[in-house]
Amino acid sequence: MGRYIIKRLLSIIPVLIGVSLIVFFLVRLIPGTALQMYMGTQVEATPEQMEELRRLFGEDKPVPVLYIEWVGDILRGDFGHSLRTGRPVLPDILSRLPLSLELTLFSLFLALLIGIPLGVISSLHQNTFGDFVNRIGGLLGLSLPQFWLAALMVMAFSNAGGWIPMGNYVGFFDSPLQNLKMLFFPSLAIGIGFAAVVMRYTRNSMLEVLQMDYIRTAKAKGLDRRKVIIFHALKNAILPVITVTGFNAGYLLGGAIVIEEVFALPGMGRLALYAIYQRDYPVIQAIVLVIATLFVLVNLITDLIYAVADPRIRLLDEAR
Amino acid sequence: MKKRTLFFITVIFLAAAAVPNVFAQGATEDSAESGDIDTTITLGVDQEAVGLDPHIVTAFSSMRRLDLLYNRLVRLDDNMKVVPDLAESWEIPNNTTYIFNLRKGVKFHNGREMVAEDVKYSLERVLDDKTASPGRSYIATIDKVEVVDDYTVKLHLSAPLASLLNALTSNNISIVPKEVVEEHGNLQRVAVGTGPYMLDEWVADNSMTLVRNPDYFEEGLPMAEKVVFRVIPEEASLLAGVKSGELNIATINDGATIRQAKNDKNVVVMNKPGMNVRVFSFNNEKEPFDDVRVRQAVALAIDRDEIITMAEYGMGKATGPIPISAKEWAIPPEELPLGSTDHERARALLAEAGYPNGFEFDIVCSSTYEGGLDVAQVIQDQLKNIGLTANLDVIEWGNYIDRWVKRDFETMVELRGGSSEPDRFLFRSLHSTGGVNNFMFADDEADRLMEQGRKQTDPSERKDTYDKLQVLLSEKAPLVFLYSPNENHVLSTNVEGFKQVGNGSLYYVTHAVVTE
Repeated sequence: MGRYIIKRLLSIIPVLIGVSLIVFFLVRLIPGTALQMYMGTQVEATPEQMEELRRLFGEDKPVPVLYIEWVGDILRGDFGHSLRTGRPVLPDILSRLPLSLELTLFSLFLALLIGIPLGVISSLHQNTFGDFVNRIGGLLGLSLPQFWLAALMVMAFSNAGGWIPMGNYVGFFDSPLQNLKMLFFPSLAIGIGFAAVVMRYTRNSMLEVLQMDYIRTAKAKGLDRRKVIIFHALKNAILPVITVTGFNAGYLLGGAIVIEEVFALPGMGRLALYAIYQRDYPVIQAIVLVIATLFVLVNLITDLIYAVADPRIRLLDEAR
Repeated sequence: MKKRTLFFITVIFLAAAAVPNVFAQGATEDSAESGDIDTTITLGVDQEAVGLDPHIVTAFSSMRRLDLLYNRLVRLDDNMKVVPDLAESWEIPNNTTYIFNLRKGVKFHNGREMVAEDVKYSLERVLDDKTASPGRSYIATIDKVEVVDDYTVKLHLSAPLASLLNALTSNNISIVPKEVVEEHGNLQRVAVGTGPYMLDEWVADNSMTLVRNPDYFEEGLPMAEKVVFRVIPEEASLLAGVKSGELNIATINDGATIRQAKNDKNVVVMNKPGMNVRVFSFNNEKEPFDDVRVRQAVALAIDRDEIITMAEYGMGKATGPIPISAKEWAIPPEELPLGSTDHERARALLAEAGYPNGFEFDIVCSSTYEGGLDVAQVIQDQLKNIGLTANLDVIEWGNYIDRWVKRDFETMVELRGGSSEPDRFLFRSLHSTGGVNNFMFADDEADRLMEQGRKQTDPSERKDTYDKLQVLLSEKAPLVFLYSPNENHVLSTNVEGFKQVGNGSLYYVTHAVVTE
């Protein structure tokens, strides 16, 4: 197990090299440079000023040279400075990362809390009216765009005293209650689509498992119905749900980007959004690297949970 | 294993059961906090400040913080008139010399007195190419800054510049203390000005708190003890914030949101046409727009009021070359040539130019507010009336700027930052050597008038020059000036004393109080 984890962790390195190459050259292919965005359509400058600005914005050297310098700086622990604000990139990202992670985890938690019980109930009452309502609800949940739902929530609840953040976000460690209260609707907006996915997977998987012989046996030997459902059926039916949760954790993090903007939350997503608008290359690059790292970690964690949940699964190295 | 699973399920349900209580507690805490709200003004704005160095920033969002942190030599009042700020009075012995008499006893936020040396340092920092200041072009003709004594500064210009006083009202020409610049390299993250408020706390992308400067030089100002800027990107959320009382004042651009606010008795909407000008630009070097008759035909097909109604929900005012709210100078479009729609004459002009059956072309626009997609759609429709087929080339904002810089367009919808001073806006936009003349317009007569207006100090002679220029620009139609969008502020009903300047400035926040 230990060796397996180390090996997986080491695999982050080639991933990051690949990702850094792609993002570095790709962001520079987007029309419009950071300097142009800074100048906008209103500002005039003398040729000497432009020369100075080009130097400041790192537009005076060829891109491959810039890449090598950038990688060299990162190896020394320097992720560079934002072209827009002049602040060092890494502290800015790290200070916003916890909010985005909290939002992702909270929405994941809500999605599972809503999705699994509904999926189980639906499977137990297959083809009844309740199941039908549930499935239609699931379809709706899947189809509703997050940002639209978020905008509706803002309109509906902004009068409800502190539920909708108004540029007055407080961190979890400053005031846990206030923090959770403010993140409830944003997390719900992000998680509801995924709750529908979880519900459908749980339902389908449960239906399959409930057909199995061992369920019939369990029932036949007179076990409590609840025990059969929770320990015999759900425990086996949960595997596909874990897989899909692992895939979707990244998707939820992506959802956080848009939702942070709607709810005025100072997270990494909003930082990314502005960086992209303003072609703030150092910030975009660093954020992409952070997200890539998170992705690899999430996949690793999913695989580990998978092994714990299903004893039949042995991680590759142990089998050899 | 069984026990563990049971344990987890119990934890989850307990957590779920605890959630409503947790939130209820949060709510009571909230109401207990709001004790001293009357001395705090909370402002909702849609964008975070990029930085705070007055000599470096270009972003509008930064300017709005600088309004309250720094002072200029002179400022604009709510009639867009130049009034004293750090300079108590000034004399203009001849049109290349300006003498400013500074207020005595003005202190920077670090406690040191502001003196003539600081003015010299600040102007020279703006003029220095290494600073790369966007304000440099406003005052580039300043040749020498002379310190006469601690409270007197003399500016020597290399050429007459009638718009100098107006230029000095720009946030980009704020007076800053040398020692703070030297200590921090620049002023992007610190604010040590002479302004009515001092920077207290800045939480990036969230809020900025300013506290009253106890030594501020204007008697009895500022009124409120604290000013809090909250960054809320969604316009609908800004309105919701004012309605719920979380915000006292919000700056809102979106017409649909403003219309909603106007129908709401719980909020007050203030608006007046701002200094920005929405324009429809031609690339004067590209066929067929190199033909003045084609440009005139387009100008005649455009109905300004319909654009304002359709694209801005009526929140704006038709304008000619000088922003309509610069009342001293502006001639309304209906009194200028080609100012009213005339489809027949437009078609005749097109036929004369060799396009009796019209032609097809692209309008470059973007879906951001500045990019004017809505405006482009209305123009597209209006041009059908004279047989022109316009295709919308809708691009992302960065791409838009790229095309703008490279002059890569046939026509384009733009939002230009005008000014109450005709020289600065028109010279840089339309003089053949103008820095932002991306229309590629070059006309000897227009150049001559702009150069003349720049030198004239007699108001009536100057007025005559700019009257002629406005007529000429309307006839030559290097672009079509459409309208000035309203500057909108939504206030809660208990805010008193706030006024709009008209160029976006939040200076009058210093006069505002929240009554209960």
